Amino acid sequence: MNGLFGTESWWVVIAKAVLIFLILVIYTLFNIWFERRVVAKMQHRIGPNVHGPFGLLQSLADGVKLALKEDIVPTAADKVVYVLAPILATIPAFMAWAVIPFGPEVRIPFTDTVTPLQLTDLPVGVLYILAVTSIGIYGIVLAGWSSGSTYALLGGMRSSAQMISYEVAMGLAFVSVFMYAGSMSTADIVAAQAEDMWFALPLLPSFVIYLIAMVGETNRAPFDLPEAEGELVGGFHTEYSSLKFALFFLAEYVNMVTVSALATTLFLGGWRAPWPISLWDGANSGYWPVLWFLGKTLIFIFVFVWLRGTLPRMRYDQFMKFGWKVLIPAALLWTMAVAVVRRIRLDGGMDQQTVLIVGGIAVTLLLVIAFIPERKQPADDEEPAETDAFAGGYPVPPMPGHQETRPDA
Amino acid sequence: MSMVELTFLMLSGVAVFSALLAVSTTQVVHAALWLVLTLGAIAGCYLLIGAEFIAWVQVLIYIGAVVVLLLFALMLTRAPTGPDSATTTSNRNVAAAVSVLVAGGLAAIMVSGFAGERLAPPRGGVGSAASIGDAIFGTWVLPFEILSLVLLAALVGAIVLTRRGPERDNGAPGDVPERAQH
Amino acid sequence: MSPQDGPRQVVVGLGAGASGFSADGRGYERGGGGPGSDLATTDMVLNVGPQHPATHGVLRLRMTLDGERIVHCEPVVGYMHRGVEKLFEVRDYRQIIVLANRHDWLSAFSSELGVVLAVERMLGMQVPERATWTRMLLAELNRVLNHLMFLGSYPLEVGAITPIFYAFRERETIQEVMEEVSGGRMHYMFNRVGGLKEDVPAGWTGRVCDAVAAVRRRLPQIEDLIFGNEIFQARTRGVGVLPVDVAHAFGVSGPIARASGVDLDLRRDEPYLAYEELLADGVLQVVTRTEGDCYARFACLLAQVKVSLDLADACLERLTEMAQGPINVRLPKIVKAPEGSTYAWTENPLGINGYWLVSRGEKTPWRLKLRSASFNNIAALPHVLEGCVVADMVAILGSMFFVVGDIDK
Repeated sequence: MNGLFGTESWWVVIAKAVLIFLILVIYTLFNIWFERRVVAKMQHRIGPNVHGPFGLLQSLADGVKLALKEDIVPTAADKVVYVLAPILATIPAFMAWAVIPFGPEVRIPFTDTVTPLQLTDLPVGVLYILAVTSIGIYGIVLAGWSSGSTYALLGGMRSSAQMISYEVAMGLAFVSVFMYAGSMSTADIVAAQAEDMWFALPLLPSFVIYLIAMVGETNRAPFDLPEAEGELVGGFHTEYSSLKFALFFLAEYVNMVTVSALATTLFLGGWRAPWPISLWDGANSGYWPVLWFLGKTLIFIFVFVWLRGTLPRMRYDQFMKFGWKVLIPAALLWTMAVAVVRRIRLDGGMDQQTVLIVGGIAVTLLLVIAFIPERKQPADDEEPAETDAFAGGYPVPPMPGHQETRPDA
Repeated sequence: MSMVELTFLMLSGVAVFSALLAVSTTQVVHAALWLVLTLGAIAGCYLLIGAEFIAWVQVLIYIGAVVVLLLFALMLTRAPTGPDSATTTSNRNVAAAVSVLVAGGLAAIMVSGFAGERLAPPRGGVGSAASIGDAIFGTWVLPFEILSLVLLAALVGAIVLTRRGPERDNGAPGDVPERAQH
Repeated sequence: MSPQDGPRQVVVGLGAGASGFSADGRGYERGGGGPGSDLATTDMVLNVGPQHPATHGVLRLRMTLDGERIVHCEPVVGYMHRGVEKLFEVRDYRQIIVLANRHDWLSAFSSELGVVLAVERMLGMQVPERATWTRMLLAELNRVLNHLMFLGSYPLEVGAITPIFYAFRERETIQEVMEEVSGGRMHYMFNRVGGLKEDVPAGWTGRVCDAVAAVRRRLPQIEDLIFGNEIFQARTRGVGVLPVDVAHAFGVSGPIARASGVDLDLRRDEPYLAYEELLADGVLQVVTRTEGDCYARFACLLAQVKVSLDLADACLERLTEMAQGPINVRLPKIVKAPEGSTYAWTENPLGINGYWLVSRGEKTPWRLKLRSASFNNIAALPHVLEGCVVADMVAILGSMFFVVGDIDK
């Protein structure tokens, strides 16, 4: 861990905190525009292109408009909790960024102060992110409950169940990263990937599990059940308007960036330059890494948008079944496998081939288990009751489950 | 009084205050929220003694999962928006007496055990992930495993209790197991 | 709902017109221990609509739920009732066509066709051959337009936001030629008793040819986008099965019935216009499926679009070969159908559309009974929905392909 953390002067810390906040807000505005443009492209549309260059200021205009709208509090709402909920959703989204490393140590312009491009580092940094984002669930649950509306309540319940379920898979995906990096600190994990390779390669199953879990965790398509427009209208934020709604919107997009940034940090080498650029000596120093970092994050954002533009929504029970019966067992097995392999390699035993064979058998078994169809409940066949079609003196068609006594009469 | 002690006093004050509110409020969901505040304040206390791992696990498990599940269960079974008479039972005086006794007993044990002793917070000692891991999977591995068995038994018990008779299980086409929906 | 359906019933609202929170602030109960069973759940009455995004229009469903399962469903219709049959009685035969193309706004041409066929039959009128073939061409193009609408909106119901834009691009292509010939984009008003309003513009048939070819070429894009998608299949296969006997009992018709194995298509079984010739040529294929689930209904729709495009091409071929000639019959100032009655039914895009015309020799019909496809189709909805979970409700409702105006008349 960097020795500078905890010893920096107060103004540096405050400056970094303000800067992270600003970057996140601007990046969110950018992402909203980005999503709309990309989805538009996928749908033969143009998307926002009027306000500012390439329509970049569209989200800003929307944000201002949203803030100026009438703020409605339903009569049936629990006032205090109703106001508290959007705040509870937003603050944790920003807090998670305290431990995300943007880059290496840099000199602050016009001063001699050297500081790492990270607000702070904790020995349990990733755990901190998990803990803080789990507080964000309260925003959604309480928003659903306090609105005093069935739609919102059902949406809130769905999302709480969803986030808890997928947090388990997400946490399990992290465990193998911790084992490889030997640390839970974000900065250490980035450093470990600089020595070894990007963890996305050796820990591909973890990476895939994380990718799926992160979409579930952020309530995005195809797992956007809490906001299923067709079923639940708007989900937990049905009753919200104006700035409170804007806060939920902001939280959703910041969360999306947070999970993307976490994926970048844990699996794609963090702020370190990708291969062709890394050949250039200055790629991993100065302020350049911020660019690589945001670029890699944008790739994940693109994946989010891509999924949204392509896939239909899963049904609630299918989604939960997938989470609990496929994702979590797979993550558990994989974590066990990684632990065993790490132990064996640390002990210096077993050659590569044996490891591959054992791994292959395990993966095959897993696939076989995953594809075994579930036992179907035998349907109870009832004897169709008989009805006389001409009982009333006038022919009537048989009702379902009934059988005509005089067929072709 | 040092900064750490002052913060500790404030945090423990918040914890006790919100704990009292959690048991005395008539609004079930509010009680759960006060409980969150109590657990959060306790997590803060862990942070003060340098037990970062435990502090964040406390937030993750208790605040992020247990109370959310609690809220979830509340909303699933009944979602009263107003005060609920069921939460104020006639046993409250007895309950209050019992809890005061328990609190007194615990305080007595603590005082008799540690009174006057000053425990220096070990730097990077008890609270780190490595030391916790060593303790759980080394010294305390047997109680840990027994605990996991107890939890497993509880899980199985819960399933047995909620399981409906076989006649209800033969559902209509597109059948969804009852538990999978929640 | 009768009181003996459950020990306790609590009405919960989804959408307007539903009672929700009681005045004492206790809200409502969900689940819990009812008498009789350890974990009996209280039946809950859920109102979906009349204002709900899933009902696109003002259909209202009154559903009784046991937990997530629908135990009873009652469609409440009539929110859009205009008394069109009464209106028919005070309009002359030219004016009736305007009314007739409005009840199902997605199949305007086919509906107006039914009226003129009935009147022509009463008058014993011979329609020029050019008119017959042009009518058939336009009716098939109208069918394509209608089906494309549902091919786009149904994926939207299950959460895929992109296919509707592809469907609407195709719709636009065809709507352009429809607009060119009739001046209308929805309510064409191109049929007249005795033929069509006027001859088609010069070069129009060539442009229709291009449009049909373009749609046929790009149709696989929609198919690739949604049809093979695993999530889409998981949400629609085996969901909302309409058994063939139920389809018979309720007089379900059109693609919905054919998806359940009801092999009935009036174009083949009681040919009108010149469908007989196309049947003999083997161009007219009747698409049927046997599964009867949402997926089969969607598949039926998709296959029917292809058949309709082929039919349109065959019509175009005949029209270009045909010598120039009149496209309508000159009518007297006042059209009076002779005394008597007739029943004219056509295979509308959504099913059988019939007009029972009773005339007493006046210039207005004495009675004009309308048998609309959606009304009968939606009547089977309770049987399809009962036993399903609420999450499937939207998928099933969307796959019943109805137009609320066609239900409420």
